[in-house]
Amino acid sequence: MRRVWLLATAATVYLLAAWMVAPGFYDGFAPQQPYNWVCPPIHVTGNQPPKSGHLDIKVIGGVSDANSAYTDDAQVVIGFLPGAFDATGKTVIAVDIKPVSPCPKPPGLTFATNAYQITADAPLVKKATLLMRYSDIVSAPSTVYRADSADGPWTSIGALSESQPFTIDTATDKLGYFAAGYPTSSVSHSSANTWLLPLAIALLIVAVLVAGVPLAIMRRRRPAVEGEPDESEP
Amino acid sequence: MIGAYILLVEWTRALSSNVAHAAMAALIVGGVALMLSGFGWPADRLGLGRSRLAFRILGGLALAVVLLLPAAARASAAPILPAFLAVPAIVVSVGEEIAFRGALYAALEDLGGAPLAIIGSTALWTAAHALSHPPEFLFAVAAAGLLLALWRWACKDLVAPVIGHSIADLAL
Repeated sequence: MRRVWLLATAATVYLLAAWMVAPGFYDGFAPQQPYNWVCPPIHVTGNQPPKSGHLDIKVIGGVSDANSAYTDDAQVVIGFLPGAFDATGKTVIAVDIKPVSPCPKPPGLTFATNAYQITADAPLVKKATLLMRYSDIVSAPSTVYRADSADGPWTSIGALSESQPFTIDTATDKLGYFAAGYPTSSVSHSSANTWLLPLAIALLIVAVLVAGVPLAIMRRRRPAVEGEPDESEP
Repeated sequence: MIGAYILLVEWTRALSSNVAHAAMAALIVGGVALMLSGFGWPADRLGLGRSRLAFRILGGLALAVVLLLPAAARASAAPILPAFLAVPAIVVSVGEEIAFRGALYAALEDLGGAPLAIIGSTALWTAAHALSHPPEFLFAVAAAGLLLALWRWACKDLVAPVIGHSIADLAL
């Protein structure tokens, strides 16, 4: 009986401890830091505003250097190859990344990240690689969208294989506005998650009770199994 | 010795998971490496076996309920495991249970009895997650480890922690 009480106490301690932090029982899958939203989803508490980023790319011998621009919270990283820009008449090329506010809400699309405006003061002539981080509490985006204006139209520029959990990669030959998301008509795991997890837990509780009660009765009626002392069970 | 091996595997896994394109491989290799810590131990010393199987499975479901209850109550804010991590999640869950509540628990129990096994395996489990979790999560991680270790002690069973841990990792 002492063991049952110890287990019950440990379960209570766990429930209290887990309640004090954001939901999740991870094994190293989750991002180390929470996503910074311009427009946080409901139930997100303690949101911090997203950061901007700036990079000066050197031009050496008329060729722009290889470099990566990123926001200070590392939610967006864009990488440029040597000679990625038309550097005519330039000694330095400035690249800026800014989160877009208010949040664009294009019809038919759901964005899983902030929208970011990426600008440079020289034209891009080679493809740049773009990596966007997304939150672990929203559905994974299926593609990256690009637009010339925050009002759209937003065009899918595709996505490469996921190099790291909770990031989406792509390549772009134009700068502009970027956001990762998916067509609203596609299945949203996020909305499914809001009822699927509680439903699964409710079913598990019912299963444990329905199967557990007869099992407990059977074990009480049955004499102790040979070689298995009763105290080994709660 | 076992503790140092497990800690090394877990920290290596956590660090290499952040390397581009290496997450899935790191998780699977890390999980398998953890399973290897149970090599050479008799199954019953690890808490594995088919006796009382219905009770063990039911216990696993009950542990999953407890582990997932705080997330289920706040489901809209619960994380979603990317589909491609489902298999690595199971491999890591099984590997961690065999390593912490299986081999390490058995070794510590031989050294200093059940109290050392419970406290020692929980402490090492928490330390092993220090690199993969934000600091504020570690108390919850420790509490989960304590719960699973107490089950291992009270029921002399590892099947239920394996089931509960796997379901919890798969759900989130």
